[in-house]
Amino acid sequence: MLRLSFKMTLARKGRLFLTSLAIILGTGFLAGTFIFSDTLNSTFDRLFSDVFKDVDAYVRSSSFVEAEFGGEQRGSTPISALETVLAVPGVKDAAPDVQGYARIIGKDGKPIGADNGPPTFGGIASASVAGLWNIEVGRLPVGPSEMVMDKLTAKTGKFALGDTVRINAQTGSREFAMVGIVNYGDVSSPGGATFALFDQPTASEFLLKPGFVDAFLVQGDGTVSDEQLASAINAALLPADKLETITGAQITKETQDQIGAVLSFLTLFLTAFSFIALGIGCFVIYNVFSITTAQRLKENALLRAIGANKRQVVTAMMVEAFIIGLLGSALGFLSGIGLSKGLSAMLNAFGIELPTTGLTIRTNRIAFTMIVGTVITILSAILPALRAGRVPPLAALRDTAIENVGSVKRRVTIGVIAMLLGAGAITATAAGATNVLLGIGVLLVFAGVLIIGPGIAKPVALSLGRPIEKLRGVTGAMARQNAARNPKRTARTAAPVLIGVALVTAMTVFAASVRSEVRTTIGDQFQGDFIVSSASRQFGGLAPSLATELAAIPGVAQATGLGFTSVNIEGSGKFVLIIDPATASGLITFNMVQGDQSKLSANGILVSDTRALAKGWTIGSPIEIAMVDGTTKTVTVEGTFASSGFGGSYVVNRELFEGTLNNLFDANIYIRLTNDANKDQVYDALTAASTDKGLGTLQSRDEFIDAESGQINQILGLIYGLLGLSIIIAIVGIVITLLLSVFERRREIGLLRAIGMTRSQVRTTVRWESVITSMFGAIVGVVLGVVMGFVLILILADSGASAFSLPIAGTLWILVLSFIVGVLAAVYPARRATKVDVIQAIATT
Amino acid sequence: MNNPSATFPPPTASSESAAARATNVSKIYGHGDSEVRALDDVTIQFEKGHFTAIMGPSGSGKSTLMHCMAGLDSLTTGSVSINGIDLSGLSDKALTKLRRDQIGFVFQAFNLIPTLNAKENIVLPLSLGGQKGDDVWIDKIIDTIGLRDRLTHRPSELSGGQQQRVAVARALASKPAIIFADEPTGNLDSRTGHEVLNFMRKAVSDLGQTIVMVTHDASNASYADRIVFLKDGKIAGEMFEPTPDRVLDYLKHLGE
Repeated sequence: MLRLSFKMTLARKGRLFLTSLAIILGTGFLAGTFIFSDTLNSTFDRLFSDVFKDVDAYVRSSSFVEAEFGGEQRGSTPISALETVLAVPGVKDAAPDVQGYARIIGKDGKPIGADNGPPTFGGIASASVAGLWNIEVGRLPVGPSEMVMDKLTAKTGKFALGDTVRINAQTGSREFAMVGIVNYGDVSSPGGATFALFDQPTASEFLLKPGFVDAFLVQGDGTVSDEQLASAINAALLPADKLETITGAQITKETQDQIGAVLSFLTLFLTAFSFIALGIGCFVIYNVFSITTAQRLKENALLRAIGANKRQVVTAMMVEAFIIGLLGSALGFLSGIGLSKGLSAMLNAFGIELPTTGLTIRTNRIAFTMIVGTVITILSAILPALRAGRVPPLAALRDTAIENVGSVKRRVTIGVIAMLLGAGAITATAAGATNVLLGIGVLLVFAGVLIIGPGIAKPVALSLGRPIEKLRGVTGAMARQNAARNPKRTARTAAPVLIGVALVTAMTVFAASVRSEVRTTIGDQFQGDFIVSSASRQFGGLAPSLATELAAIPGVAQATGLGFTSVNIEGSGKFVLIIDPATASGLITFNMVQGDQSKLSANGILVSDTRALAKGWTIGSPIEIAMVDGTTKTVTVEGTFASSGFGGSYVVNRELFEGTLNNLFDANIYIRLTNDANKDQVYDALTAASTDKGLGTLQSRDEFIDAESGQINQILGLIYGLLGLSIIIAIVGIVITLLLSVFERRREIGLLRAIGMTRSQVRTTVRWESVITSMFGAIVGVVLGVVMGFVLILILADSGASAFSLPIAGTLWILVLSFIVGVLAAVYPARRATKVDVIQAIATT
Repeated sequence: MNNPSATFPPPTASSESAAARATNVSKIYGHGDSEVRALDDVTIQFEKGHFTAIMGPSGSGKSTLMHCMAGLDSLTTGSVSINGIDLSGLSDKALTKLRRDQIGFVFQAFNLIPTLNAKENIVLPLSLGGQKGDDVWIDKIIDTIGLRDRLTHRPSELSGGQQQRVAVARALASKPAIIFADEPTGNLDSRTGHEVLNFMRKAVSDLGQTIVMVTHDASNASYADRIVFLKDGKIAGEMFEPTPDRVLDYLKHLGE
């Protein structure tokens, strides 16, 4: 029997291929995600082991602030401690290192590198053997007006020795003479980052604070182990300097882990989408097995008649599923290699530039993909196989496969119950229950809709087909009836479309709401004419001196910077906004609940009302904060504000950081003109002082609001892209179903051709059936998606009054695209339908 | 030959009276050793307003002749014309249109589209051509088949005989030049079969239609005005005004 199953499976290559296709695509995405993230991880791992290859010990500040969104900010290291380190026995050399923010301005006046691309570093180039850089051309920089840069950036920017190069950093924008080009070990530039390097005093003063660097890179003389070296240095360091020493291996591991944590988030994100694709693939597989089981009624009945028992029929089907699953996932893994490249290209297109070199393929990933693919296929085949086993030996010999829907009432009842339970779970989450309940709720709602599907497929398909019948006459009528004749099949075919459309719609609704919310809050909170903004939120930004410079331009009434940093508040790292209360008034307006933002003192703090409520803070409450350099201060709550469109729950005065070693950057500078100013003239002057020097982006208030509210579009685009594969699987599902239906109805098609249906009419019939099916999925999906989007906003909104906005245009687009999906999916099956051999089809035997 | 009326095709028929004509038609399948001559230089014509039966043993080329004459199959050599229109050189689209407007079909089984009701099936060729058709004519057909109360029923709700009657009605609906029926009663019991044949007879005698029917049943064939006998892809003879006994007698003779 087992051998027979193998033979029967392999005998039907077409069916084998069609079923495999869904698995190939589903597992392909999963494998692609794995390969992509493994490749990314190993690229970075290699990169950092290269970076710290010659570093035996690493001296850095022991005080740090864990940033709210991952990573950490660490205090600075006084250069004075270098002497101490050099004097420790076993130290061969030690090089001061700075990893500051520095943007090299290209010859066209534009900064080199994308805003959200690889980081732009400023650092130290020294002759020390412990240093990271080797001179390729020219010489090392000496003094406050010389710099060198990495080879790749020099090439990209077409810089040559002797050129004057403008560089923007924390302390402002300056020009340097380029005296050399350097290599990073063996590579010209690691990870596509740009590097501007100076001598140590210049780097400290320009990028950081005079007298301070980020760390010392220590090379041992080989007499002691790295561990011994690190502890010897530790013992020699002054406690007052707040320094610590770790080994080269430790800093390598730490950096790799930090990057790994960021990457694992990305991997998780991608994996989630590949599982969505796989789930949708499941539906397609289930559908194909169900249809072929129905079509194989005769075959199975024959097997039963000649003596096969139920179990053997079921086993035969399961063996087929196993073969298809195994084959499909193997091919899926192979296609994953290609898909990983596609993922990389797609992330690139959305501004997430990630360096990948080579391909990392791990055997455990192959095994996992194969197992997941095979298990999913077998699971999808269980129900149809059991159904096949129930075929009586003397089954009625029918021409078309009809699957009974069973009781519509029961179906709808069960579906509605599932949906109500799901709705209950979601409501509970909105009321504060755990997010696990939300997931269960969403799944239950989906399950409910999918259970009801076959029950409503017939009436819905019939009413969707009505206008088509009106429009296309008898071909439309036949398409309509064909879509309705097998409700179970139609519902199952539409299900992947439904899921895909629901997710896309939910994201669209969510994004539209976020956009309108951002628009309102920024509109409320920023009154002014222009804004200079920097997109590099995570690392670097605008020098705080720029706001003062811009304020001095004639015609500018007021200019104020909005900065940010991370500090420890009650022991955990928090993102805080930094304002100048004196100049901020009327430009940056927080929705104060209590207190007055213009009266924010140097030792005061404004807290969001929700945070204040959670922490029990009131006006006058003292809050302990610790800064990156280890400075601790007690600040007093001087006001509370309603949710901030600027992000962040804390606002402090810039003066709070006076005398500390915090890096201070402004994210945005808000500008208001005098009433009698000539707008164009001032705009030109502002341009000259900012964008012309490669400092930020100058926008009018409207442009800025558009840009800010449009930021979500980028993420939305990425999500659309990732859901794209699920949509493709849904299309493949429709194609497969149509092909099987065409095969099943070949007699009917042959008859129609004989009595005068033209090829184009045959195509029309198949096409409209496809459109009705996809529109069935799309319409139900849109409804579900709108509801889901609404729920998502309810749950994610911190404050009650969040704007729900229904994107009419977006929703219509989704429907139009689903229509197109239907048309596209029908192309090949329709062609096949026109190729039906009339004589063979009408032959009686 | 003990049958005086069995002669080779009458060479005197005028072209105006021919609903369909085949001239020196050959249909060869395969090549070389495996070559099969399904039709071997067949020349025949079917007169308007006549009911013709084609008989012959299995593999004699009955169905192939019908398929070729109806434009469903291509010829190896020779030519076919329907109502004076030469089929050779017609595009697939033109052929389809010709089948829709000039030819009616009744097959042995699976004649009707299961998703359409009886009325929709009857007018299907007209609907495909985007035509309304002749209401009076269609009413007349429906009355003749006697299924007026079944018009809104789907094929699955009709008996086998009713289905075949609907199929004949469909074949008549567009007033085609010729109707080809391939074993139209093959799947019916003899009583229902005769009902259908009676109806076909009426369509010719009373409504002036032209029918060509392939059958291997002598009593079925006796409903026709004329029987053409085929053997080994060639016309072996014909008979006018047949009776079942004469047909059986002839067939016995033919088999020798």
